[in-house]
Amino acid sequence: MSDSQQTQTQNRTRTETTGNDQPLETTSGETVEEARAEWTEYDFRGNAKMVAEDLDVYYGDDHALKGVSMEIPEESVTALIGPSGCGKSTYLRCLNRMNDRISAARVDGSVQFDGKEIYQDGINLVELRKRVGMVFQSPNPFPKSIRDNISYGPRKHGDIDTGLLARLLGRDDSDAERKLVERALKQAALWDEVHDRLDDNALGLSGGQQQRLCIARCLSVDPEVILMDEPASALDPIATAKIEDLIDDLSEEYTVVIVTHNMQQAARISDQTAVFLTGGELVEYDETDKIFENPESQRVEDYITGKFG
Amino acid sequence: MPRDDFQQSLADLRAEVLSMGDLVADRLDRALTALQTVDEAAARAVIEGDDAVDRRYLELESTCIQLIAQQQPVAGDLRVVVASFKILTDLERVADLAVNLAQYTLEADRQRFEQVDLSTIGDLAGEMFDDAMTAYRTDDAALCREVAARDDELDSLCQRSSERVVRELIEGEAGGDDAWTVERLLDDVSRLLLIVRDLERVGDHAVNVAARTLYMIESDPELV
Repeated sequence: MSDSQQTQTQNRTRTETTGNDQPLETTSGETVEEARAEWTEYDFRGNAKMVAEDLDVYYGDDHALKGVSMEIPEESVTALIGPSGCGKSTYLRCLNRMNDRISAARVDGSVQFDGKEIYQDGINLVELRKRVGMVFQSPNPFPKSIRDNISYGPRKHGDIDTGLLARLLGRDDSDAERKLVERALKQAALWDEVHDRLDDNALGLSGGQQQRLCIARCLSVDPEVILMDEPASALDPIATAKIEDLIDDLSEEYTVVIVTHNMQQAARISDQTAVFLTGGELVEYDETDKIFENPESQRVEDYITGKFG
Repeated sequence: MPRDDFQQSLADLRAEVLSMGDLVADRLDRALTALQTVDEAAARAVIEGDDAVDRRYLELESTCIQLIAQQQPVAGDLRVVVASFKILTDLERVADLAVNLAQYTLEADRQRFEQVDLSTIGDLAGEMFDDAMTAYRTDDAALCREVAARDDELDSLCQRSSERVVRELIEGEAGGDDAWTVERLLDDVSRLLLIVRDLERVGDHAVNVAARTLYMIESDPELV
């Protein structure tokens, strides 16, 4: 464990001015400095897996995320909540540099993963996104077999080899592939439902099954962090319950960060909750119990009780 | 608008809890007065009125359950609902204790142990209850703590009264010789001790109301 990780057991959350002389105005008309008075220190147990410091994101002239500093504890579930356009998905995408794919996006500040800066030249993005995987709102399996959906990633990364050449050269990893597919599908609580039809097209699965397949696909490359952007918002209550159970299981081994619009879902499944409010500010970050029983910030109280806006 | 309706429902719930609190305070007051004036008709009215309190209790309990199930309140809203839900139980129990007092009025021989000052104990307990409900109505955290602090005074008053009865019994001053008198005396003493304990319990329920109110206002479990 690095020294920086050791020191990260004392954590705090804050947003800051972005270097301009004029203090930023928040949506409620107070300055960020004034708003800071409502933020609380949040000390979590364990180590920080990811640390964002003074993170600003701009889409062209739009300042989408304002000076967010926030640490993600390892092997736990961190929920990001807030109204549409508050910057929570933008923040999530910063954690594996998915914003790089948006040409108008500019990111200032720092994000560390296991103490290593990910916003530096020479970082291997393929490796980063393998270790910090992502699951999206709409299930997006490849139009391939269930088996191939799982083994595609490991094959691309060179972790398994089942091609003709591999067979000719005696390096056929078919057995390893079978095991990997089974492990990933079991971890994603899908194995029992699909084990007898692994060669069927994944698009024939139900929405909930497709989403669990996408989670299995993400798990197949051995990630350490799983980012989820509203993974259950397109699912019915039963499929949602399965995804929530799965997230709970995964948090024993993985660090999960989830964006959700469903406040009850955040309350049910997360260990800590970060509330972003319109304008790209992180307003409060604390244990989930605290946020939903007695938040420090009146604006957060107004938001979660539905009195906001 | 559903959200406005929900806020109105919360306000209505609090108003209903206060109204039930007024009803219970009135029952307690009537029971104490009936005891002091040996007014059997008033005591019977308190006993017969208890069903109405129970019905009110069940209605409001159901309202709380509906609000939780349908609105899934959080933060301050959640604390209003759960505090009210708990307070309702205390109100219902205080009404039951008022019924006990009324029963005592009908059955006891108040010529004996006149020196046990049930009025003072009852007034103290009743004031604690009234103040706890005022704290709930006005979100007064200081009053919640003050009600809780007063409970020691009530407890010691009740303890002194009970000891006095027992001591007199041992000293035989209040006793009689024949079996019938002894039995009657035992009956009276038991009832009196239970009534003292019931009044002390009224104070405990007042503290409970104050404790849940403090949780509602400040999310502070200090008194719970």
